[in-house]
Amino acid sequence: MRIVTSKADLVEALGIVGRAVSTRSSIQVLTGVLVEAEGAGITLTATDMEISVRAPLRGVVEATGAAVLPARILAEIAKTLSPREVTLERKAGEQQVDLSCGEALFSLRILPAEDFPRLPLFPIEEGFTVAKESFLATVDRVAASASRDETRPVLMGVLVQVAKNVVRMVATDSYRLSVKETPVEASVKEKIQAIVPARCLTELSRVAAGVAADSITVVPTHNQILFQAGEVLIISRLIDGQFPNHKQLIPENFESEAIADREEFMESLKRVSLLAPKSAPVRLQFEGNTLTISAQSQDVGAARESMPVQYQGEPLEIGFNPDFLLAGAAGVEEEDLHMRFISPLRPGLLRGQADDFLYLIMPIRLGE
Amino acid sequence: MCEHMFVYNGSMSTPPSCPRASYRAVAHLDLDAFFASVEENLDPSLRGQPVVVGGGERGVVATANYIARRYGVHSAMPLRTARRLCPHGVYLSGNHHLYHRYSKQLMAILRGYSPLVEQVSLDEAYVDLTGTERLFGPVRRTARAIQEEVQEQLHLSISVGLATNKLVAKVASDFRKPHGFTVVPAGSEAAFLAPLPVQRLPGVGPALLGQLQDRGVRTVGDLARVPERLLRMSFGEWGEMLATAARGQDHRRVSPRETVKSISRETTFPEDVGDAAVLEATLISLCEDVCRRLRRRRLEARTVTVKIRYSDFVTHTCSHTLLPARDVDEVFFREVLALFRQGRQRRYRIRLLGVGLSNLVPRSWQDDLFDQEVPLLRELNMKLDLIREKYGKTAVRRGAAQS
Repeated sequence: MRIVTSKADLVEALGIVGRAVSTRSSIQVLTGVLVEAEGAGITLTATDMEISVRAPLRGVVEATGAAVLPARILAEIAKTLSPREVTLERKAGEQQVDLSCGEALFSLRILPAEDFPRLPLFPIEEGFTVAKESFLATVDRVAASASRDETRPVLMGVLVQVAKNVVRMVATDSYRLSVKETPVEASVKEKIQAIVPARCLTELSRVAAGVAADSITVVPTHNQILFQAGEVLIISRLIDGQFPNHKQLIPENFESEAIADREEFMESLKRVSLLAPKSAPVRLQFEGNTLTISAQSQDVGAARESMPVQYQGEPLEIGFNPDFLLAGAAGVEEEDLHMRFISPLRPGLLRGQADDFLYLIMPIRLGE
Repeated sequence: MCEHMFVYNGSMSTPPSCPRASYRAVAHLDLDAFFASVEENLDPSLRGQPVVVGGGERGVVATANYIARRYGVHSAMPLRTARRLCPHGVYLSGNHHLYHRYSKQLMAILRGYSPLVEQVSLDEAYVDLTGTERLFGPVRRTARAIQEEVQEQLHLSISVGLATNKLVAKVASDFRKPHGFTVVPAGSEAAFLAPLPVQRLPGVGPALLGQLQDRGVRTVGDLARVPERLLRMSFGEWGEMLATAARGQDHRRVSPRETVKSISRETTFPEDVGDAAVLEATLISLCEDVCRRLRRRRLEARTVTVKIRYSDFVTHTCSHTLLPARDVDEVFFREVLALFRQGRQRRYRIRLLGVGLSNLVPRSWQDDLFDQEVPLLRELNMKLDLIREKYGKTAVRRGAAQS
C-alpha cells in the first residue's frame, strides 16, 4: 500500500472517524483506524462495536492495500505535521507503515487488520432519503434530553419515527422529555420507527453538517441502522426495548400559562441559577403578570430577579432543576416561550407558539 | 468503684518537640451496662444481683450488668441462652422511653463542654475537647470532670477514653471497663495499641479476625508490622484502612451532625408466625416507620432490605436497589412485599422480620416523569408525618399495616 494525501485532508478524515474509535482498549484492534486503499480511492474506518464510521480520505493511491494504524497517535501526529504532502506506505510483508511528510518520518507498527471487524452490508435499495437540514435540526433539539445513565439503556436512545412527510424524534432521561416533529420529504413507503443511540445521532449531526449533501440516506434493519451523508457512513446498533409512550406522559389540560420573552427568560435564569449549584432547584413564582425567579444556596447566599410575563391562572410557585429548564427554553427556538403548568407537583410544559416542539419537565418539590 | 489510667512512659503531657495545637483532644465516652444501670437506679434493690435487660418475651439480651456478665451473659445473646447460663438473674423487658431520656440528658451534659459532640448511639459519644483548655483547664481534667458529672447527675457509670483521635479514644474507653479512665498521650498511640488483641480495633469482626489470624496476626502490633502493600493485596481498600488503624492514626473528624448510613427496624413476634397476612402487615408497619425516619432526616434511600429470621434462627436478608433514590412509603411497600414474597423460601414459621433502608443520599426531590404519582404520595406522607409528630407514632396507620 502506498498513498499520497495532504495534511489537511488527513486531519479532516481522522476527525470524522475519530469519535468512533474505542476508548476502552480491551480489544486492541478497535483502538485503531483501518486505512484501505483501493482503485476507487482511500477510506478510513473506525468502530467501537456500537457505532462505526467510514469516511473517504482525499488522495492518490499509488499501490493498493490496507493497514490498521493506532488511531490516537496517528491523529496527534497528523495535527502536528507541516501543511504539506503526506505519504503513507506499507512495504510488502512489513508489519509497519511509514508516514512521511517533508523531512519527518514516522514508522508506525500496525495492528492486525484481519482482526478488524468487517462493517455489515446494508441493502441500500431498501433505505430512504430525508432532507439533511431538517433531520439534523430535529436531532439537535431533542438528543440532549436523552439519558446518560447506562442502567436504563432504552433512555440512552432517541425514538425516531419517520413517515412520508414528517419526522418525529423523542428523547427523555425521565426528568424531562423532548418531542420534535418536523415536516420533511422522506421517501418512505410506510411509517417506520427505531430507537437510535443518542450518541450516534449527535455524531451524525457533527459529521454531516460539514458534508456538502442535501439529503441523508437512511437504511434501517431489524437491529442496526446506517446513515449516509455524502460519502460518509455511520452505522449504529439499534436499542432494543420499549420506549416510554410520550403521549401518555404529556398532560392534555393545564391550569395556567405564562408567555415570556425567551431570551430575557434565559438570561435571568442563567444569572439566578448561579446560586443554585448542583441539583438545587430554582424557584419560579408567577403572580399577576410578573415572574420572579429565585434561588438560594445555604453556604453562599441568595438571588432573585423579576420579569414581566403574560400570565393566566392562579398564583403559582414551582421549582425546577435550572439546567433542565434552560435546555428546554433553548430548544424552543422562538421569540416567545410558552410555559404551562398544572400544579407544583405535576410536570410543566415548555413550547413555542406552534406545537411542533414540546419539552416536558418534572418539577422539584420546594422546601418550606 | 475502681479507676484505671493508662500512662505511657509516665508522661502525661505532649512531647515538647510537638506544638500543642497540632493535636486534637478527642474523648470517647461509653456508659457502662447502660440499660441495666438505669434499671438499678430505678430499683436500688437490684444492685448486687445479675440484671439482664432484653426485648420482649423471647428476644435477645440488650444489656447485662457486670454481675450477669460473670455468668457468660452478653448482649445479642438469645434470652433463652442467658436464662440457662444465669437462671437466678433478674430479667427485665426494658423501658426504652426512660433510656432515651437518660441519653438526652447525657448528651446535654456533654454539649456543656464542647459544641463538637458526635452521638454514636444511645449510650456512646465522641467529644472533641480541642481548644477547651482556656475555658476548663487541662483536657485530662475536663474529661475527668465529665465523668464525675455524669456520675453525680445521672448516677450512671461511664468509661472515658482520651486520645488524639476517634479510633484510639474508642479503644481507650474500652480498655478498662467499667468506669475506666484511659488517657493516651500524643505520640504513644501505636505503643498503646500494639499489645492489644487485633479484634479490639473497630471494624475487625469475626470474619476478618479469622483471616488475620491465619496470617499470624494476633495483636495490633503484629498488624502494624505487616507491610501496607501486603495488606492492600489481601484486603484491598480495607487493607489500607487497617494499616492506618494499626499505627493509631485516624483522620475522621468529630462531626456533630451524625451521618446516617442506614435506617432500619425489626420486630420479634411474641410467637412464631406463619400467616402471610400478619407477616405482610408487619412489614408494611415497619416500612412506614423507617420511611418516616428517613424523611425526618431529610434523606432519600436507594436500597431497601428485608430481613427474615425463621423459627430455627436461620436468617436471610434480601435487598433491592432502586434506580433513583426515593422517600415515599408506597414505593418501598411495593419493594418490601416483593422482596419478602421472593425471599421467603422456607416453610418454617417466622420469628423476626426487619426492614432497612440504606444507600442514603440527601433528598433532592427531583421526581420522575414516569412515576407522576410519587410527588402526590409524598405530600400525603408528609401530612401523615405531621399528624404523627403531634399525636404519636400510632395516631394514623395504613389499613394494610393492621393485622
